[in-house]
Amino acid sequence: MRLHRHTAETHEQSHGIDLAPMLDFVLNLLIFFIIIAVFVKESSLMVNRPTGEQATQSESTSIPIQILANSEIWIEGRAVDLRAVRANVERMYAVNPKSGVLIIADREAPTGLLVQVVDQVHLGNVYNITFSTAE
Amino acid sequence: MPLRRHTPEQEDHGIDLAPMLDFVLNLLIFFIITTSFVKEAGVVVTRPGATTAEQRESGNILIAIRENGEVWMDRRQMDMRTLRPALERLHIERPDDTVVIIADKASQAGVVAQVMDEVTKAGIKEVSIAAAPEATG
Repeated sequence: MRLHRHTAETHEQSHGIDLAPMLDFVLNLLIFFIIIAVFVKESSLMVNRPTGEQATQSESTSIPIQILANSEIWIEGRAVDLRAVRANVERMYAVNPKSGVLIIADREAPTGLLVQVVDQVHLGNVYNITFSTAE
Repeated sequence: MPLRRHTPEQEDHGIDLAPMLDFVLNLLIFFIITTSFVKEAGVVVTRPGATTAEQRESGNILIAIRENGEVWMDRRQMDMRTLRPALERLHIERPDDTVVIIADKASQAGVVAQVMDEVTKAGIKEVSIAAAPEATG
């Protein structure tokens, strides 16, 4: 029967291409892409770094927040609690709505505190945050 | 001739693969488009929590900073000096990439600042600091 098919029906053979090898290949590609796909979605906070030209012109319109190595937060020469950061930022932002926040962190300050301060500033509706470090 | 093809003797010989092939090709295209080729950092760090952290779709280069100041990128420990050439190479490969710095809670802010500087010097504009989302409180 096999032989019969290959001889008598050659005009049928040209009718359709054999899709099986292509299907194998496509399935392999599909498996490759399924495995490669990593659906990583990091949630994160946007923070700017000071650039040369920014540092000169925006100094007067920024709210400075200092973070010391011993995890103290200083605003306007006073040590404040983390929970008071939001209120302070809201007050100073209301006085000058064009201002951004400048966080000056000590090199040894923990990043966890830095992120918490950024979070509190965000809660105070200020999103223009510049992060700089001091000795 | 078409009539001859439909004889029952041949019908059970092969299934019609065309609809399945269409479906599989669609799946393939979907996965090719959604693949984002994330460069994972390769170490586990405890992220600081933040209530206002936003999910970003396109953060595809992850740099981890461990408690002891080690910097990890693309499953390798990086030196501060080798970080920039590596980032530049990745930036040339995919110019629209963004960086997420995953810093440990207890890591030093100075290291984070240094890494951010290296990233901006490598020409990548968008840098953000990872935070674990918390319930609003």
